[in-house]
Amino acid sequence: MLQKPKIALFQCQWCLYAPADQEWVDTQLPENIHLTKTPCTGRINPLYVLNTVQGGADGVMISGCLPEQCHFKTGNMAARRQLEEFNDFLNHIGYEKERVRFVWLDLQDRGIIQKQLAIFEEELEALGPASNLVTRTKVAEGGRHA
Amino acid sequence: MPDLDAIKTETKRLLSEGVVEVVVAFKPGDTPLHPQPAFFMNVDDVDSLVYDGLCQNNLATFLTRLPKSQKIGMLVRGCENRSVNALVVEKQKLRENLFLVGIPCEGIIDWRKIVERTGEAVIAVHENDLNVFVDSRAGNFNFNRADLLHESCLRCTHRTPVNADILIGEALPEGDLTLAATAVEVFEAHEIDERYAWFHKEAERCIRCYACREACPMCYCTECFVDHIEPRWTESGATPAGMQGWHIVRAFHQTGRCTDCGACERACPMDIKMTYLTEKLNHDMRNKYGFVTGLDAQTQPPFATVTLDDKNRFSV
Amino acid sequence: MNLILEKQALPGLLQGWREQYDVFLPQKLERFSHFLPLTPDSVLVTDEPHNTRIPPKALFLPMTETLVKFTRFGGYQDAQQNIHPRIIFAIRPCDAQAVQLLDTSFIQESYTDPLWLEKREKTITVGLGCHEPCHNGFCTTVGYGPFNKVGLDALLTDLGEVFLVETLTEKGYSLFLGLREAQQQMTEVAQRVQQQAYDKMPVAFETEGLKAKLEQNFNSSYWQEVSQSCLGCGVCTFLCPTCFCFDIADETQRRERVRNWDTCMFRTYSLEASGHNPRPSKVERTRQRLSHKFVYWLDQINQIGCTGCGRCVRYCPVGLDIRAMLRQAQTLPFEVNHAL
Repeated sequence: MLQKPKIALFQCQWCLYAPADQEWVDTQLPENIHLTKTPCTGRINPLYVLNTVQGGADGVMISGCLPEQCHFKTGNMAARRQLEEFNDFLNHIGYEKERVRFVWLDLQDRGIIQKQLAIFEEELEALGPASNLVTRTKVAEGGRHA
Repeated sequence: MPDLDAIKTETKRLLSEGVVEVVVAFKPGDTPLHPQPAFFMNVDDVDSLVYDGLCQNNLATFLTRLPKSQKIGMLVRGCENRSVNALVVEKQKLRENLFLVGIPCEGIIDWRKIVERTGEAVIAVHENDLNVFVDSRAGNFNFNRADLLHESCLRCTHRTPVNADILIGEALPEGDLTLAATAVEVFEAHEIDERYAWFHKEAERCIRCYACREACPMCYCTECFVDHIEPRWTESGATPAGMQGWHIVRAFHQTGRCTDCGACERACPMDIKMTYLTEKLNHDMRNKYGFVTGLDAQTQPPFATVTLDDKNRFSV
Repeated sequence: MNLILEKQALPGLLQGWREQYDVFLPQKLERFSHFLPLTPDSVLVTDEPHNTRIPPKALFLPMTETLVKFTRFGGYQDAQQNIHPRIIFAIRPCDAQAVQLLDTSFIQESYTDPLWLEKREKTITVGLGCHEPCHNGFCTTVGYGPFNKVGLDALLTDLGEVFLVETLTEKGYSLFLGLREAQQQMTEVAQRVQQQAYDKMPVAFETEGLKAKLEQNFNSSYWQEVSQSCLGCGVCTFLCPTCFCFDIADETQRRERVRNWDTCMFRTYSLEASGHNPRPSKVERTRQRLSHKFVYWLDQINQIGCTGCGRCVRYCPVGLDIRAMLRQAQTLPFEVNHAL
């Protein structure tokens, strides 16, 4: 693959406890990773994930807090149920399950997110660029009638 | 075949005794293949009520279009009863304001299967328990009813209404639970690119008419996600991203709410297959959470009942 | 000019047109027919229900069409259409008449839609008349017919082994050079076929006085009755060859302004930014739909805005039938409407 895989990172704003990690994600994120921060992973609407998939994301990583550490108590568990099912559903219609990755971080974790992203990137490189469901293209000139 | 006389008698009783203000049922269509949903308010009109295999709409879709306070009677088959329960669970209707006349169902006839066999010019259709007789310009036909059923009905698991206020007809044995699972497994046994090719091919015909949405009892949002302009998450037109996004998200919004009635597929003017999407979601809800939509009017669906116990359910 | 086209010569003729034109003809798509581009393997589909599921208006007003492309930094340009001259072959008279009716909206003195105009000017329509009535059509009831010539450059009449080709315009004539002229006898046979087809079409409802009845019963409970089981989807309007409403949307992620088919049957169609909706329920919207076709089109151009193609009847998910609704309307009293 000539280009690095495009990764959409959805992250809750609380899961990175160490300032060094926070700063890295906010300022030193590699160019092929697109960050969307939400107040909680529970806020991640499957539509956001679908939007990135249709826009060409080769992989989607969702990063949040461990159970019992959610700032909003059960937001991360709600996210888990919905997004895990959405992942299964996208797999059902053609987007490989391996392209969606969940990373749940402990308050005591340091440097995990960088490692996980690096591993994910390698795996995506092996998987190749996403093509199924990548459909955000310009309307054919002359319009569409079929 | 449903006992039409008993149905009419009960409908008349509900109206004359003031149990309900309106009974939602069917009346003959203006064309032989399409009986229309009907809203009976006068006892005198009830003689025109019909109820047969061509009554292809899920009547529960009309419930959210009628006031919550109104006392409504409705004829319900298995899937429709479960849809009503799902609506009550979501607090869209009050169960005490509904009187459900339950009718065990032998399956809905797919009118397209008739037309495929007899041509378009159908003049009259009659049926009994086993056969469907069709008079058309191309001749007279006699079919096995089982050959004409809609796909969703072939895999139906709840033919008998689960908590109707009265049951008209003998309760039917439940369908084979494994059929639905098998359908999902067969689809998933195909290679991932084949699955996408199928999905793409079906979604491609979409004209964004939203007949599927309007026919579905669980799609009652005053503002649907496709109506959002700012931000525009789903493309608005008949573009690949738009059509696929529509099918994906509408199906996903049914997770834990869909009763596999198939009304969406029957309503589609472009003959698009879409029940394979919701069947997958229903399958997962059954297997992962032991949840089946609408078996009662209290149990919340999985996406509404998150607990910390889930930490044992998912591996990190 | 009346010409004879041998049926076995048809494939060759169509392929010959491909040198200069894109050719669209009804071909099988899943269980129905659809106007698709001609390929070497194309098979013409003309059996019931005669017309394609999606009307050929889609070839002039696509479901989704780009109007403007814009850049991230504020620049924009009008979208360029890439329309190659094309022939629409075997279009039915109901659909061709409908395209002509739509011209009155898109090509006006005050404004002409450039996208529509270009497509129209680069299109030649060759019609195929319906010698057997289709099952749900009612073209003769609304003043048109199975061999109506409006909107066509040429009209084919099926005479068994051959087609009689009536060329109606220069453009039409140019497609059939080299065919032999029809003898008077063949022309008469064709005329009989056409007249028989016309006579065979049943009268679905009475149009005499219908406009007045609909207008004067604006507040009647009739509208509540006929709209009760309507789902409020867009099937009837999207499959209708004379419906042309569109919505303009900015697809910001694709940096395009597009127009999409829209329908007066959606709640959001008339929803205003303030939240007020002048057509708040199905009652008003159904009244609007029927009135547009059978009252307002007449007010504007003195023609009924429905060509009787039958698609709305065939594909309504709840089996509503516009013919029955209008028959019922004819039973309404003449009621003077003080509110108007």
